[in-house]
Amino acid sequence: MEMDSLPNGNSATPNPSSALIPTAAAPPSSKLNQLAESLKLEHQFLRVPFEHYKKTIRANHRVVEKEVSSVISSVAEAADRDGMSRDEAVNHLSSLVSRLQGLKRKLEEGSRVEHLQAQRCRARLDHLESADAQNLSEWNNVKVKRILVDYMLRMSYYDTAVKLAESSNMQDLVDIEVFQEAKKVIDALQNQEVAPALAWCAENKSRLKKSKSKFEFQVRLQEFIELVRAENSLRAITYARKYLAPWGPSHMNELQRVFATVAYKSTTECTIYKVFFEPKQWDFLVDQFKQEFCKLYGMTLEPLLNIYLQAGLSALKTPYCYEDDCTKEDPLSQENFRKLALSLPYSKQHHSKLVCYITKELMDTENPPQVLPNGYVYSTKALEDMAKKNNGKITCPRTNFVCNYKDLVKAYIS
Amino acid sequence: MGLTTIKDAFDRVTKKQKLSCSKTQEVIDQIDQELEQVLQTLQSASDLDSQLDYRSVLAELKTKLKDMAPLSQLESTQKEVNIAASKYPKLLEKSFNPDISKAYRNIEFDSHTVNEVIASHFYRRGLFEIGDSFMKETQEPESACAMKLLFQEMFQILEAMRKQNLELALNWAATNSDKLKENGSDLLLKLHSLQFVEILQKQSRDEALKYARTHLSLFASDHMPEIQKLVICILWTGKLDRSPYAQLLSPTNWDKVAEELTRQFCNIQGQSYESPLSVTIAAGTQGLPPLLKFMNVMLGKKQEWQSMKQLPVPVELDKEFQFHSIFVCPVSKEQSTEENPPMLMSCGHVLCKQSIMKMSKNSTRSFKCPYCPSDIDSTNCRQLYF
Repeated sequence: MEMDSLPNGNSATPNPSSALIPTAAAPPSSKLNQLAESLKLEHQFLRVPFEHYKKTIRANHRVVEKEVSSVISSVAEAADRDGMSRDEAVNHLSSLVSRLQGLKRKLEEGSRVEHLQAQRCRARLDHLESADAQNLSEWNNVKVKRILVDYMLRMSYYDTAVKLAESSNMQDLVDIEVFQEAKKVIDALQNQEVAPALAWCAENKSRLKKSKSKFEFQVRLQEFIELVRAENSLRAITYARKYLAPWGPSHMNELQRVFATVAYKSTTECTIYKVFFEPKQWDFLVDQFKQEFCKLYGMTLEPLLNIYLQAGLSALKTPYCYEDDCTKEDPLSQENFRKLALSLPYSKQHHSKLVCYITKELMDTENPPQVLPNGYVYSTKALEDMAKKNNGKITCPRTNFVCNYKDLVKAYIS
Repeated sequence: MGLTTIKDAFDRVTKKQKLSCSKTQEVIDQIDQELEQVLQTLQSASDLDSQLDYRSVLAELKTKLKDMAPLSQLESTQKEVNIAASKYPKLLEKSFNPDISKAYRNIEFDSHTVNEVIASHFYRRGLFEIGDSFMKETQEPESACAMKLLFQEMFQILEAMRKQNLELALNWAATNSDKLKENGSDLLLKLHSLQFVEILQKQSRDEALKYARTHLSLFASDHMPEIQKLVICILWTGKLDRSPYAQLLSPTNWDKVAEELTRQFCNIQGQSYESPLSVTIAAGTQGLPPLLKFMNVMLGKKQEWQSMKQLPVPVELDKEFQFHSIFVCPVSKEQSTEENPPMLMSCGHVLCKQSIMKMSKNSTRSFKCPYCPSDIDSTNCRQLYF
């Protein structure tokens, strides 16, 4: 190796790869605007933990109210009672005192939970605030993970959801605890047990009523059906009188139809009544519950993933995506993504956007498109590069047509 | 958007809640005190006291508690909490898009396909444990397994590189050197350079020279300047940090080579560099705001939205999402098709064929270019291929 006789490399730029460091310029206002617009999509992100917090506040308050009022009425009752001995009075009062001690402990525990939930709300506000042009790619990574955890929680893949949240240290940014509440009800419904669902309805009674939910009615109907299935007609009728009748004024038709099943057996072939006895009715209840649950917490009814995927696929979908030479970088070059996008609309463009076949770079005023005599168009950058390497000769990569660099003409795309 | 106002509104809720909390404690303590006091009176009273006294003491306690009105005390502070807590969600609704599913078409995705996409995403991000857990929980057949094996190899190479071990990377690059050359990548040289610099730092001058002879000399024909620079470094063996070439030691060199390796690995395996799921979600993030804006205006036309073949509004995505050339005729505003291709006019401006036919009355006369003063003869127009 004759290294010595060769001239030294230019030591002013010792590392060739260092020339490509992008200059950190201030982000243009359109970028910031885009970021602000994307943050506006995060309603659920702030809303859900707040609803959770509010729920805890209310529940804690109700406990206090209940206990205090029962202590007071208990004092009143003792005062009005005749012939109480001193020991009895002392015992009575001491039991009330220890009851108050118990309440205090509950209160402490309650405020601890409230505090944690308030912290979670604040962590999310801080997370939204932390998004800026510098850390955007990392922030978006977290966003993808958040969307995936949301999907898994809704689809009841709890284990993986928890694992992903823990391994990424983002427990405060996802709603695992909220969904744990749903899990109890869903698991029970899948085992054909209604108690947790009814308890949930009772817990959220006023809000369900406000949104005109008939979920409780549907659960009651199912319970009624189960009594009919067990051929326990008498109990079924008593049940209907007690729990179904109150829904009569608002849901008479449904009530009548379901009640008529009393006349049949679960093995009936009558199609109108047969469906009520099918096991898929329970799946239907699970779906109904999920919807009510999402509504109550201010969540979208569909998983975030589906909403984002649909919008993204549509925005990316062009007739060219389905051609064989579609670039690998386009998600729609993949079979699975094509399948998902099949029934979605194509994107719409108001302006031309030309991508150089060779460099895959956008052709714009800085890198204008040039036309070969055969009508094929490539970017100036690519053609200049090719000409430099081949003594001014240009070879069309798609047709093998050869021409001179000076034969090219510029195309003006408006 | 004013996150500060939102934060303020939230702080108001927590502040009111704290007030209410301490008020509650106060009320309970008051009741507690009253009870304890009476209890003491009762206990300290001698047996001589008549029974009637207990009653009057209890009655007194009853009136005291009644006058204290603890429940209404609690209620008033709780009311303030409720007011603040109902204002906050309203503010959220106003400041954010309260329901992004308005832009959702009621088309169910096949959940198996979605699950497969998610599993692949985990694997290609190197989250193998999560991916496995996901596969187990969804009980999908092992269709994403190929993806797992593929990316396991890549992450092994990258993991070794993080520990400054280039052996796996060099092996892979050597095996795929033809394809790398085809892609115009000099990854192999970059890897050898890293290794060479490592030797310079940690081993003797002879070792470095030997390495340069066996591995770097092969690249001499195409990459002379780089190789010269590297070899000259032999003069500074063991003290490269004080040489003009200290930059060769920068850890960012490793990061860059790792990135290049990832890019080439994905490309050669027929995979995209970015996770397609991340790309689609990012495109969705940019696409949702204009779609939602449109849906808010078009309330009540939900029906049409369900059956549209093309989005009703243009969605401008950033250039990293431009994978295909789209030509929109500036006259008809329609996208070009095979039947209606883009045509280059003699002045260099481009229109779609149908527009040219229209303006030339089916090629019967010349017309003026809408963008410059040139006269255009439609028979002189050339079809373009982007």
